[in-house]
Formats: sequence, structure tokens, C-alpha cells
Amino acid sequence: MGRRKKIVQECERLMDEPENIRNIAIAAHVDHGKTTLSDNLLAGAGMISDDTAGEQLAMDTEEDEQERGITIDAANVSMTHEYEDTNHLINLIDTPGHVDFGGDVTRAMRAVDGALVVVDAVEGAMPQTETVLRQALREGVKPTLFINKVDRLISELQEGPEEMQQRLVSVINDVNELIRGMTQDMDDIEDWTVSVEDGTVGFGSALYKWGVSMPSMQRTGMDFAEIMELERSDSRQELHEKTPLSDVVLDMVCEHFPNPVNAQPRRIPRVWRGDAESELAEQMRLVDESGEVVLMVTDISMDPHAGEIASGRVFSGTLEKGQELYVSGTAGKNRVQSVGIYMGGEREEVDNVPAGNIAAVTGLRDAIAGSTVSSVEMTPFESIEHISEPVITKSVEAQTMDDLPKLIETLRQVSKEDPTIQITINEDTGEHLISGQGELHLEVITQRIEKNQGIPVNTGEPIVVYREAIQQASDQVEGISPNRHNRFYISVEPLSEELVDTIKMGEASMDMPEQERREALQESGMDKDDSQDVEHIHGSNILLDQTKGIQHLNETMELFIEGLEDALDNGPLANEPVQGTLIRLHDARLHEDTIHRGPAQVIPATRNAVHKSLIDGQIKMLEPMQDCRIDVPNDHMGAASGEIQGRRGRVDDMYQEGDLMVVEGIAPVDEMIGFASDIRSATEGRASWNTENAGFEVMSDSLQREKVMEIRERKGMKLELPPAIEYI
Amino acid sequence: MLTFIGLGLYDERSITVEGQEALRASDRAFAEFYTSKLVGTTIESLESHHDVSIEVRDRAGVEQHPEEILEAAEAEDVAFLTAGDTMISTTHVDLRLRAHERGIETRVIHGVTAQTATSALTGLQNYRFGTATTLPFPYAHGADGLPSSVTNTIDDNREEGSHTVVYLDIKVDNEAAIERVDTDEAVEEYMTADVGAELLAEEYPDLVGVVVARAGSPDPLVEAGTMTDLASREFGDPLHLLVVPGDCHLLEADALVELAGANREELDIV
Repeated sequence: MGRRKKIVQECERLMDEPENIRNIAIAAHVDHGKTTLSDNLLAGAGMISDDTAGEQLAMDTEEDEQERGITIDAANVSMTHEYEDTNHLINLIDTPGHVDFGGDVTRAMRAVDGALVVVDAVEGAMPQTETVLRQALREGVKPTLFINKVDRLISELQEGPEEMQQRLVSVINDVNELIRGMTQDMDDIEDWTVSVEDGTVGFGSALYKWGVSMPSMQRTGMDFAEIMELERSDSRQELHEKTPLSDVVLDMVCEHFPNPVNAQPRRIPRVWRGDAESELAEQMRLVDESGEVVLMVTDISMDPHAGEIASGRVFSGTLEKGQELYVSGTAGKNRVQSVGIYMGGEREEVDNVPAGNIAAVTGLRDAIAGSTVSSVEMTPFESIEHISEPVITKSVEAQTMDDLPKLIETLRQVSKEDPTIQITINEDTGEHLISGQGELHLEVITQRIEKNQGIPVNTGEPIVVYREAIQQASDQVEGISPNRHNRFYISVEPLSEELVDTIKMGEASMDMPEQERREALQESGMDKDDSQDVEHIHGSNILLDQTKGIQHLNETMELFIEGLEDALDNGPLANEPVQGTLIRLHDARLHEDTIHRGPAQVIPATRNAVHKSLIDGQIKMLEPMQDCRIDVPNDHMGAASGEIQGRRGRVDDMYQEGDLMVVEGIAPVDEMIGFASDIRSATEGRASWNTENAGFEVMSDSLQREKVMEIRERKGMKLELPPAIEYI
Repeated sequence: MLTFIGLGLYDERSITVEGQEALRASDRAFAEFYTSKLVGTTIESLESHHDVSIEVRDRAGVEQHPEEILEAAEAEDVAFLTAGDTMISTTHVDLRLRAHERGIETRVIHGVTAQTATSALTGLQNYRFGTATTLPFPYAHGADGLPSSVTNTIDDNREEGSHTVVYLDIKVDNEAAIERVDTDEAVEEYMTADVGAELLAEEYPDLVGVVVARAGSPDPLVEAGTMTDLASREFGDPLHLLVVPGDCHLLEADALVELAGANREELDIV
């Protein structure tokens, strides 16, 4: 029997013992060494050869990942590890660290119970470290810390024991401060800060495959001095053999991460808003493998042979081939064609996958990343909210018309696999728009279309996505239907930032029970009466129905909402999405007969009323911003800060960190296009930098009209603004 | 001058003599056929019969962009034509008011409408009708099945013992309809009484309905039966409508038995 086959068999045996399962993610800032660490763990578990770990990057399976040297998709793998005489099954997800691929990280966190956060000892906690921690904690996922690249402190920076200790302690303190800040309002989470004494912190070098922790030092009897000695004398192989990284980390995983039986009672209430008293809730809390099947899909990928593969966490029941399962948000059922687990980049089919595991399923043709798949109809899981919205758009068209159907198919596939990508398909012009998190995000997607599907495409210049938002409350306005027999009376006002955040985070949505939604809105500062009138939430806008006893309004509300959504998706200034608006419907007059209050009447009346009120609320253009941090040697600092300031940006802070200067600032995404090559040439390639999407800001008054006109022209809209928009 | 002229129920001869004279004397004639239609004739026949040229406008051309009609009416004598009566089961009072806002004189020349024909053909007394309602195609109103405005109207009327006229949907050039049959041609769809009865049977399987088909034509049809019953019959060419009788006076019941073949046992007689 082959070694691989043996491991698969062992995994299958362990899958039935949830107490011995750990579902974990490795997450970190870009280039801090997640993937190299993952490979160490695989080698330690005998999945890949020990010699190639660190170079092979087994988790980076896509060609472009190995080329770029970064992880783009989250990759899954299962392995076994013996800890305290018990064999454990470890299901591991490696996640991308680059900011453009944050959506993958958020989805991965839903599937796991523990997150191994990797931080580079030299660079310390970086912006993405904070982001991944937040993503983990929001999902109720417990963190531990691994400080990587300690070899560089010893061999490269030649630090002494005290200096080094200081540096490590400060990394730990920084991470703990983040954890403390993020969990202080979470009642269901005890103290999740990490410490060396507890064994929730490990150190080492993924590149040279050695690692230590307090428990490992006690076990091996090695102390820091000995480690430094071996590292300095270049005896890294000996160091690896004496205290292998994989043992240290996998022991930490088994000891400190919760198994599904411990984790699910806490996590289910965090991520599922259904009836907590129901039998289904009980089955999920108890990881009941004979209960109803509940699978939360966190990822969709394409296999050239098997087709679409949905992977995700089984929270209850046992997945088997041939099951007919419901997919949230779609009608009818899908039939499971096969079930499997991941071994490295490959999928191994197995007979069944019980609750508590991460499964790979084929046949779920209606599922997208984020779907709830179940054997009974149920309240879907909280939608997995990714913090950043798309900020950049690019047009894609097939070079030859013959490829058009294939391109459309591929684009649909892409948006299924990565819901942070938005696709607008225009079958008339053949020009399709893809929107995503950043330049790199879109570049990778288009490259995949060309390479994997062999479709040559032309792409347009990247275009920034704007928003429109009101600046003050409007008066009550009247919207009149074309036949003038139907009228709607509405007013709008800006929503507080707190309420907008609550909606964006999915903490208040129309999917949740009314009572809970009311409470969430009230907690964020909404008036009690208002919170009872919420009729609809669209994007970050809320509709309140404050009419009293109007006959036929029920029947008409659907059309009113259709008109409202259309008016909000296409704002009055430049057809860009409207955000952060509270819309009050005060009164309505409706025609007696359905025929005279159909879509042709109600939709234009609503659109008209909404746009009139938004203009009365002095709606303005908002543009997406990016926080930017540049690490640069002192003599290039001027050039670096100039790159921010020259882009309508603002430098907020400059300080010394080690031998480098750090420049922190913020600039519009629009101006940041092409930043990568500019900063490289301005600093002779000496700068390293990070950007992170920082939400939308109102553009300055002097730019408003110009930008509106520019977008209207690009979209082929009328260049004449409604006369009421004289304020910009 | 803007003259609203009802064309009556069926063909080019259903207009009143007064209407015909006014139409022939007008300088321009506009018409709309999205609220109803003359099934016994065509626009060409109308034009040649009256020796006028008729400009047909769609819903947007009347409701959203009525300027052309109004500007013409400011300068000359304009006729605005609809099937039936221009002011019954339409929203054209809006157009009349817009004309008044511009200081245009208006006049209404009545036509025979389905509402009076229904009363005439069934023998149900016009005094005893409640609010009328329209039964839309299910795809046209978004929700599933019967809209509550239809059931509410029927229930309220029956509570008071009143009869209900249920108009059946007409769709001309409806986007949803065009998409459904996948064509670029104009699509005209008329809900037939069996389809209407089938929809109503969901809620009222045993309630008696009366079908009135081709009112105003040489061969009008009036047939009564339970909704379930009516759903399985055929009533020939359009237009159709349905009446849901409330409490029937003795003579109304006699008329329904004699003229519509109703089963006396199934009627609510007071």
C-alpha cells in the first residue's frame, strides 16, 4: 500500500472522531511566510518530501501563484499528527495575504475553528496582520501566533539575546493589543491573548524548518542560547532535526485550538441566525453526524475532470454521494455526485464526510461560495461579509467573436468562485465589466481567463468605482406616476456611520428574525419606532415604511422596492451606487385597480421620488480611498512621501522603525493606479509598501462637477444635469 | 379643442353617430389601444371607414409624453379615441386635466362600455354592482397567483351582497410577454375567461361566475357556472370578462338561469 493511500485511510478513520479533529487556517500579512510554513507541516506529516519543503510551495497550485510567489486562492489540505499518543486529523487552509484577495481569507475563516497567525520577526505586525486577525475574531475563530524568520534576527541582523527577546516581546504585545481591542465587546469570548508561557506562541524559521515554543523547549531541553549557537554556526539541518518546526506547530495546534465539539456550540450562534431552540440548532452545536446534513460552502473551484468542486465545513450530519440537498437562495435540490477530502492540491474521494470536517463535493451546481447546503430547508448562514467592497472595474472583451459564449461562461464561473468579484455582463455590446478589490486582483483574474481557458481578451483601462451619498436631510417630496393616479411621499436623510457599518458587516439584515434586526439597529443608534418600520435594506440603505393603513400598498410594495433599488443602484449624479441613506415612505396614494398601478406606473414614480429627494439632500460624489504604508531607507523618504502627496494624498505620519523610515498616508484609489511602478522608480526599488482599502470619502467640491461629467460622458449619459443640482 | 371619443365595443360601427361626426370633422385623430381594443376591426378599416388618418400612441406616448397631443389640441380640433368609453376603466381624466391646465377646451363623447354591456347582457341590475377589479396575468404583477386586491374586492362586494365585474388583463407590447414568447414582434395577449376562472378557482372553486364574451358583437355569449366548471370550458374569440354575482334578486336569478344557463341551486337568492 502506498504511503499516500495509507494517509488517506488514516484520515478517513479519524474523520469520525470529532474530538481529535482540528480545522485551522494559516493567515498572515503578504510574504510573512504562510505558504512555506504550510509546506513544513505537510512534510512533517509525510505528505511531501522533507527536502523540498520550503521550495516546493505545494499549496501554491496555480501556475500564476508559483510564478508570482504569492498565494492567491485559499488552498485546502488534510494531514494527521500524533500528539500525546493520540492521532489527530488536521484540516488546514492556507490563505492569501495580499490585500486584494481578502475575500478568500474571510471565507476560509468560516470553515475553521483556529487561526495560526504568522508574523515576520523583522517586520512585526503589519496592516494585513490586523485585518486577518479581525476576520478571524469576527468569525469566532481562536488565534495562536507563530513568529517566523527568527533566523534573520540571529544571522542577518546579528542581534544578541536581549535585543532579540525585546523584539519578540514587542511583536507579541502588538498582536495582543489587537486581540484585546477586537474582542473586548465579544461576550462569548474569554481571554484570547497569546503568551509564551501558555504555549500559544511559537518561534522559528519556516525556511530552515526549525521552530521552538515553551513546551518544546521543556521537552527537548534546548534553550535559546543553544538555538542561537546552532543557527549562527550554520548548523540548520541539525537544528531542524532536533526541534522540527512541524512538531512544534502541530503540537500547538492540537493543544490550543478547539476541536469541533468545543468550537461549534460557540460558533453556531455567531454565524447562524436561525431558531436557537430548534432541533437543527442542537444538531449543529453537538456536531451530530447522524443529524440533518448542513454544509457551509466557503469555496468553489474548477477541476478539469470533475467540474465544479464546492468545498466547505460540514457543521452537522454526514455527507454522502447521492444525497439530494437544498442550496440556499435557489429552488429545487442538487444531487451530490461525489464527496472527498483534500490532500495537498489534490482531491481524494471518500465514502462519506461526517460533521466537523472540511469536505470537497461535486454535483452542487447551484452553489456559490457562501451558500448554505442542507438536507432540510433552513435559515441560511450569515452571509460571509468581506469588509471591502469592489473599488476598481475593468472592461474585458473577447478578441474574436467566436469566443464570446465561452467568455461569458467563464466570467459567470469566476464570480461564482470569488464573490468579491462582481461581473456585469452586457450581451449586446460584448463588453463586460469585472469589478474587484484592486489592480492586482483584476489582473490575476484576466490572466486566468487567458491562460486557463485559452481565450484571448482585450482589457480596458482600470476604472475606479464611485459612490453617491447625501450630505443632509431632505424635505418631503412627491413622486408621481406617469398616469398621475399614483403618488409616493418620501424623504431621505443620511445614516450614521455606525448604522452603515452595522449593515455592511451583516449585523443587521433582512435575512435575520425581525426582533434581532430591531435590536441590532437600536444598538447602533436607530430610534426604536424607526427600527420597527424597516421594510427593506439595499446595499447600505434602509427603507422605512411609515405609512398608516393604506389599502393595496402591500401589493405595490414589491414594485416600489424595485423602483427604489433601481434609483439607488443608479444615483442621480452619475448612475453610481448610492450609499448610507435612510429613506422614509410617509404616505402613498394608489389607484384602485392593479392595472393602473402596475410596474409602468409605480417604478417611474418611485425612481422619480427617490432621485428628487436625494438631490434635495445635496447628494455628492464619493471616491474610494486607500491607506498606504511605505517602508523606505532614510535617503528615499522624501521621494516616497512625494509619491503620496503628488496623488491628491495626505501623509499622516512618518517615523523611524529599525533602520527604515515608515511613511503612512492615505490617497484616492483613482490616483493610486500605477503606484507600484512609480514608487519603484522613485526609490530605486528600495521601498516596500502596502495599501489597504479605506472606504469612501466625499470628493472635494472643486472636483465634483468635473468628475460627474467625466463619468456621464464615459457612460454615454446626457451631459446636462437636472437644474436642481446647482450645488456642485 | 380636445374631444374624447369612445369607439364603443366591437368594430368601426360601434361608435355613436355623434362621435362619428366629431371624428370626421377633426383635424387630427390620436388613439390608444393599450387599455382595450376593438376586436372586430383594424385600424386600417377604422381609417377608411371614417376617412381619417389615426395616430396610435402607446402608454408612454399618452402618459409620459402627452405634449404632442396637447400641442396639437391647442392649435386645432383633435380627437382622442379609445375603445369603449374614454373615461371608464382608464386614467385619461389625467390627460383631460392636463389639457385644462393649458387652457384647452375639452369635450367627452360617450361610447358604450363593457360595464353597461355586462349589466345589459346578464340581466344583473346596474344598481347592485360594487367596485370593479382587473385580474392581471400572474407574470405581470410580480407576486404568485391571485393578487389580494382582486380577492379583497370580490370579498368586500359579496359581504355587501354586490356583484363584481372582473376585467381580464390585456397586454399589448408588454416586455415580459415579448420575452416569454421570444419574439421581436408586437405581442397582444388577452386573458380568456377560462384562464381567469382557473385563477379565481384557486380561491373560489365553487363560487358561481358569469362569462360575458364578445359583448357588442353580433354573437355575444353569456354563460354561468362554478369557477371550476368555467375553467374547463371554451368561450371563443376575445374579449372576455367575468362577473361574480353577489346576492341575486329573484328577477336577477331568473335572468341568469334563462340567459346564462345558471343552475338556480348554486345562486345566492334573496
